[in-house]
Amino acid sequence: MNGLTQLKCVLVLEDEPLIAMDLQWALEDAGIDAVTARNCPEAMDAIKNKSVDGAILDVNLGKGQTCENAAMELHRLGLPFILNTGDLDRSGELLRRINAPVVAKPTPSELVVERLLAVAAERGANQSRIDI
Amino acid sequence: MENTGPFAGPDAFSGATGLLFEQAMAQTRMAVCLTDPRQKDDPIVFCNRAFENLTGYGSDEIIGRNCRFLQGPHTDQKQVSKIREALKNQSVAVVELLNYRKDGSSFWNALHLGPIYDENGELKYFFGSQWDVSEIHLAQAEERNAKAMAREVSHRLKNVFAVIGAIVNITGRSMDAPEVSRKINQRVQALGRSYEPTLDDAFLGTIEVGQAVRAVLAPYDPEGGRIIYLGNGLRTEPNAISAIGLTLHELATNSIKYGALSNDTGTVEVEWRQDNDRHHRGSLVVCWRERGGPPVDGAPDEDNGTGFRIVDTLLDHLDGTLERKWEAEGLQAEIHFPIGRAG
Repeated sequence: MNGLTQLKCVLVLEDEPLIAMDLQWALEDAGIDAVTARNCPEAMDAIKNKSVDGAILDVNLGKGQTCENAAMELHRLGLPFILNTGDLDRSGELLRRINAPVVAKPTPSELVVERLLAVAAERGANQSRIDI
Repeated sequence: MENTGPFAGPDAFSGATGLLFEQAMAQTRMAVCLTDPRQKDDPIVFCNRAFENLTGYGSDEIIGRNCRFLQGPHTDQKQVSKIREALKNQSVAVVELLNYRKDGSSFWNALHLGPIYDENGELKYFFGSQWDVSEIHLAQAEERNAKAMAREVSHRLKNVFAVIGAIVNITGRSMDAPEVSRKINQRVQALGRSYEPTLDDAFLGTIEVGQAVRAVLAPYDPEGGRIIYLGNGLRTEPNAISAIGLTLHELATNSIKYGALSNDTGTVEVEWRQDNDRHHRGSLVVCWRERGGPPVDGAPDEDNGTGFRIVDTLLDHLDGTLERKWEAEGLQAEIHFPIGRAG
């Protein structure tokens, strides 16, 4: 699809298992491996230990937990990611802090994946890739 | 009783001005007091009847005390410090703070205070007017609650629709029917979107048509500018929204496949208004006008028909209609939908 910026392995941080599964399958349909995480520590683990090169993050993960730490780590590593949330009204401040493209829930999973690929491609065009 | 200030006796105000002042102060429902900043601890030297009524104290319990005796455990000290600043700088301040009556009950006090100078320009009194704004506070709190509740419901609804979408996709894929599941999902999500932006004021019992129209069609015009919205703040019954949402979804899907949204330049005008049908019943009319798409040669056939068949049946149940005219410049459609049967 995007020769240079095709992602190989994408992290899905999502506390709702059905949505995680749907996104995982949509990624696999696009020829991308998926690693799922249900909470932020799991996501941090995945970012450290698997060679993740992009991510789709749910913002509010239940019990007041958010994806903020994982998002900041992805920023630090310069990896492309998007936020997938239904809570645009209440998370305004948090979303501004994280400062990443947002896809409003519900959006069909294949469009979420498309958006991530577009973000990755844009980045690939603007900067050379960072070696990890 | 010892002399606590110039208002202790009936001669406190002299002349006609004084008489007017006293009568006005006695009659106004605005609670008023004056304090004397030249005395130690700035005591209250005058209060009117409304002040007694508001606070539950008699004037004999009020005169001679500093205003802070109205404060209590939940009085916001930030507001109190604003008062202190104003007193120090001899400036005017308006603060809202929680005060307490003699019986211990509390009220929201909108306090306006400012300096009063004598003829020589010397600071003589501080003037304070207080107004019980508890009801306004209560209404504001209720409105905030209602809004927070609406946002919570809206958030949950979106999540429910997201999960439904996931279930449909997963089922479709596991049964090897991804095309079917995609179509189901598009319709379900269009339905979800039509209700989404309307929750905030759903307690009004009606829904704004324009908000629902825009929300349903937004995904079909990601860059903006291809779909032109012409309508006003017309509202309608919530049950009209599902039918209109699904109909617009079918029109948009058709347009993306064959019509004005299938190329890079075509546009769609969507207009909504209230009208009377031939039986003089109120009717919601939504017009859909495509232009600039590939030339149209009659109605498209194949599977696309199915979508319109669903919509025709749905509208038929509700005494509505969807007229479609396949003009050369693009599809011209009109949805008619009876509303407000009661008249």
